[in-house]
Formats: sequence, structure tokens, C-alpha cells
Amino acid sequence: MSVHDFWTPFSFLPFLNALFIGISLASIWLLAALGLTIIYGTMGVINLAHGEFLMLGAYSTFVFQSLLGLPFLVCLPLSFMVVATIGLLIERTIVRPLYARPLDTLLATWGLSLILIQGVRLIFGGEPQYVGVPEWLNFVLQASFISLSGLRIFIIVVAIALVALTWILLYRTRFGVMVRAVMEDKEMAQSFGVNASRVYALTFAYGAGLAGIAGGLFGAVKTLFPDMGSGYIVEAFLVVVVGGVQLVGTVISAGLLGELNSVFSYFTNDTFARFVLFTMVVVFLRFRPQGLISEGVTRR
Amino acid sequence: MGGNLYHNKRAQWLTYLGAFVLLALVPLIVDNPFTLNQLARYSVYAMLAVSVSLVWGYGGILSLGQGIAFGLAAYGMGMTMQMQFQDPEYDPIPSFMLTNELESLPLLWEPFWSTTAGLILTLSVPTLFFVVFGALMFQARVAGVFVSIMTIAMLAAWYSMAYDMQPFTAGFNGISPPLPFSLGEFSFDPYGVPAYLVCVGFLAALTLGAKFLMHTKFGLIVQAIRDDAERARMLGYNVAAYQVTLFAISGFIAACAGLCWVMIVQYVSPTALEITLSIAMVVWAAVGGRLSLLGAIVGAFLVNGTQSYLGDELQQVWLLVLGAIFIAVVLLLPKGLAGLLELCLERLSSGKRSSDSRPDLAKEVAE
Repeated sequence: MSVHDFWTPFSFLPFLNALFIGISLASIWLLAALGLTIIYGTMGVINLAHGEFLMLGAYSTFVFQSLLGLPFLVCLPLSFMVVATIGLLIERTIVRPLYARPLDTLLATWGLSLILIQGVRLIFGGEPQYVGVPEWLNFVLQASFISLSGLRIFIIVVAIALVALTWILLYRTRFGVMVRAVMEDKEMAQSFGVNASRVYALTFAYGAGLAGIAGGLFGAVKTLFPDMGSGYIVEAFLVVVVGGVQLVGTVISAGLLGELNSVFSYFTNDTFARFVLFTMVVVFLRFRPQGLISEGVTRR
Repeated sequence: MGGNLYHNKRAQWLTYLGAFVLLALVPLIVDNPFTLNQLARYSVYAMLAVSVSLVWGYGGILSLGQGIAFGLAAYGMGMTMQMQFQDPEYDPIPSFMLTNELESLPLLWEPFWSTTAGLILTLSVPTLFFVVFGALMFQARVAGVFVSIMTIAMLAAWYSMAYDMQPFTAGFNGISPPLPFSLGEFSFDPYGVPAYLVCVGFLAALTLGAKFLMHTKFGLIVQAIRDDAERARMLGYNVAAYQVTLFAISGFIAACAGLCWVMIVQYVSPTALEITLSIAMVVWAAVGGRLSLLGAIVGAFLVNGTQSYLGDELQQVWLLVLGAIFIAVVLLLPKGLAGLLELCLERLSSGKRSSDSRPDLAKEVAE
């Protein structure tokens, strides 16, 4: 292996294309991290089963599409409902008793992810499944140097839409006020009559539902495996933590990490880029553990 | 009266010694080489569980990156064993490097010509890495789940590195040294008694050493930091230094496990650096009881033993069972099996004392 095989020299147009791939990658990481930001940000719960929520979203999209023949655009909201319901059940049974022991939630949700993976494997088998890409997304945007598939563009659009929706929910509704109040000071919020337990349950379900939509989209990009979720979980956590466990921070850090990863892999290759990126994140957290944007909320 | 037997130090040491003597005597009754190798593997898992118990149970640092030390040491041992097979004159380069179009031995591999240097590197590099990585984290006062996330990120980084550097690590295929590890003239057959005893010996020495350490002042301070880092800092202790030391010791134990592992499986691949393995170590420690080193060992043997024997029968549902057991342990038995034992012995001793000692207590309170 010579230096030249490893290191791709800079040239303008391919580099620009790499930047566009970076946006697409960022949108995927953003989708994976969005639900996690909500759950971690509100409850301080490290949900290691988040990757499996993505997987459940992918599989429920697959079921609605292939077995019931519903159109893709209908499948996504239905996946939201399915995974949100599962999330609600999980919150009520496993997560709720552990709010005082955040490190233990990490372990319990890992046990949960084992169950979800194996459960799906028992039902659908270990062989790969596919979510069909609808006709109207079967185009490729070709400008001189950019080439992005319709599906990738759709993912970017959905990511933007979900961020906007979540922002409105958190900052422009009564429910959002309650969520933010509980985030900032649970006891104080409760003393003003906010039902914190209900807020937790609904936010957990909402975060899980977001993962459901994201999973449906990921299923269209890649093949479905019962353990597909593990491929997203580390990146999702890094995006959340680098962003400072906060909505705007997550958007920025997903963009930043996606672009950096894409630029590094342009110069070297995918796996080496990952190594550099993860190491950079660790060093970054050393100097700024509160993340890019910190609201001055009590750290958990 | 001595109170709860569980907290009796002499009883603790006797139990620990007894357990290791029993493990060392196993080859007298088991002559099936496969079973012996299986037990040696469990001993390695037990070392990993001990390293988790030390850093998480005693130090309150939930590291999900113990696999880094394990994996790095496993690669070091794999390289050492591979170079024992190579011949400086006729066959100086491992075959997988030739297929990766490498013309000379990489500099990274050169020291491994010497078995002594190889072994020293195998144990020292991971430990030093933990010192540096620990200093990076703990001087910044990173704590709680942030440690978990940073260690898991670092682990993922090393995993992709081992995967990607194909000419140096044989990538996905991994390194499989053709011959067993040999020290001088003696060759450690992976299925033989000596290799088993080396694993058990390492396990016993490391566990007893760690237990001794936890009874010293160092151990007490470490536990004080776990319970309230801020208070320990205010009392004038250099919290970061203690945490880094503990983290490095746990890394050293995991590195020893990596060394033994490759000796008994003659194979190393990026799977040693997989995230699932590092989380599994935490599971073993949690099931057995993270606050007890012996508990962690029992947890490792129990989970892996059940997995091998039950797992073949119930392959389809085993992961379901494991996941459920794990959730149940976390929800109902935060201190694991060791905690259960503590509770039972507590019942026993308080039952015995209830007639005479409780009034004493009431009298003291009254006075």
C-alpha cells in the first residue's frame, strides 16, 4: 500500500461532490439522533435500544408496504405510530423505575435491544428484507458535478421537516413549555402542576416515533437486518453529545460531523475517516464536555 | 457476634482462595480437552468482568471501552505468536501481508521478532493507552454517562482502525498464528492443561491483587470518589489521579485477558474490539454483582456457561432469555447475585441476633 493509494489528492469538483454527500450523510445522522436528543435531553436516559427503534421503524414500514400494500408516504406516519406505541410501553415498564439510576437505564435498554433484535429475527427471519423505493423518487439529480438520488433528497427534506415540527412542538406549544420546564427543574415544574410522569412518557414515545420514521427511510436506503440498528447508535450518540443535547445543537453537530466524515473519507477512505472523526469527537468532548451549544441547563 | 458473614474479611479471603484452588484443581477431574479450553475461555471472560467490576463497581466509572485494552493486547499477542512462526531468513513476512502486496515487514511489527519484547508491548501499550485516555477524560472532570459515550466512541474508532489497516492487521479475516504460543522450548497447547493453568493463574493473581488493593487506603479513596467525587475533591484528594490509576489498572487486567485469550484461541480479529463484547463484559459483572470481584467472576462463568450449554438447545430464544434476565437483574437486583447473597446472609445473621442485640441497640440509642 503506497501513500498514493491511501491519500486522494484534492481536486475541486469531486471535492464539491463530497460536500454534497456530506449533507446527505448529515441528514441521516440527524434523523437517527433526533429522537435520541429528545429522550436524552428530557429524561437523561441513555437509550441503547434507540438503534432498535430505528430497526422497528424499518420493519414496520416493510410490513405496511409489502404485506398490506400501502404507499410509502402512508407507511412512514404509521411507523411513527407503531414505534411510538412500543416506546410508550417500554417507558412505562422498563425505563420508568430507573429514572434515578441513569447508568442502569443504559444497561436495561441494552437488554431490551437484545430482546427486540431476537424478537424481530424470530418473526421475520435473519435474511435481508427490502423497503421498496416509490416510483416518484426514482430519479437522480444530475448537475455537472453533483449526483444525488431522489431518495437522498427526500431524506434531507424529511429531516428538515421533522426538525421544524419538533421545534414547533417544543417551543410553540403548551406541551413544549411543560417539557422544557420538566427538563430544567423537575420538582419545580411538578409544584406548578405539571404531570412530569406523563410528560416523560409522551416525550419518550415521541422520540421513539421519530426513530420509527427515520428507520422507515433508512430501510429504503439499505437492506433490513434485525441488527441493522447497531450501525447507527454510536454515531447518533456522538451527534447528540457533541451538539450539547439540545435541538439546534443536534442539527449543527449532525451537519458538522456529516461533512467532516465525508471530507475525511474523500481524502482517505470510509473506515479511516471514522477513526479520525471518533478520535476528534473524544478530544472535543475533553475540552467542551457541554457540547457545541449549552443552554446552561443542569447537567445530568 | 461477627454480624453479617458477607462483610467478614477473613471469610471473604477464604472464599476467594477456595474458589481459585477449586478452579486450579479442575484438570484433575476434567480430561476432555474441549471442556478445559472452554473453561479457560470463561476464565478470560472472568478477568474482563473483574476489570469492569473494579472500574465500575468500585470506581463508579461505567467504561464501555474495556474492549480497547482487550483488543489491543489480543493483537499484540497475535503478532507475537505470528512472528514466532516466521523465519528471519527464509520467510520473514506473514503470508497475509504478501497478499496485501507488502514487500517488507512494517516497522510496527519489527519488535515482535522478540517474544519478550512482544509480551512487554502486549501488556504495556494498552495500559499506557488507558493512562493517556483516562488522563484526557478525568482531568476534564468528565463523569457519568459521558465517560460511557467517550469510551464507546474510542472503542468504535479502534474497531474501524483494526478493520481498515488490512496490510497490518489482516482486516476482517484477522490473524491466525499457525503454531501455539511457545516460551523457550515449551509450547502452550491451547487445549492443554498448562494453558488452562496460565489463564486461571492470571485470573487468581489479578483478582486477589485487585481485592487487596481495594482494602488499602487507595481502594477506600477510590470508593469515596465513586460515592461523592466533589466531597473527595474538597477533602484534598487528587480525584483525577486516582481515577486515572484505577482506569489504567482495569485496562491492565483487560490486557492480560487479551493476552490469555489469543493464547487459547490462536486467533485474533476485529471482533475483539466489537462494541457488543465490551457491553457484554458489563453484563457479566452486573449479573454477578459489580460490587464484588468474585461475584463478577461468577457472573462471567454463569452467563457464558449457560450460553454455551443452553444456547445450543435454545439457540432461537437464548438472546430473548438473556435480555430478559438482564433487565430483571437491573430492575430487581442492582447488586447482582452477590447482593442477593449479602441479603440472605444478612437475614441469617440478624435472625440470630434479633433476640439479644436489638435491645442493646435500643439501649444505646436511649442513652
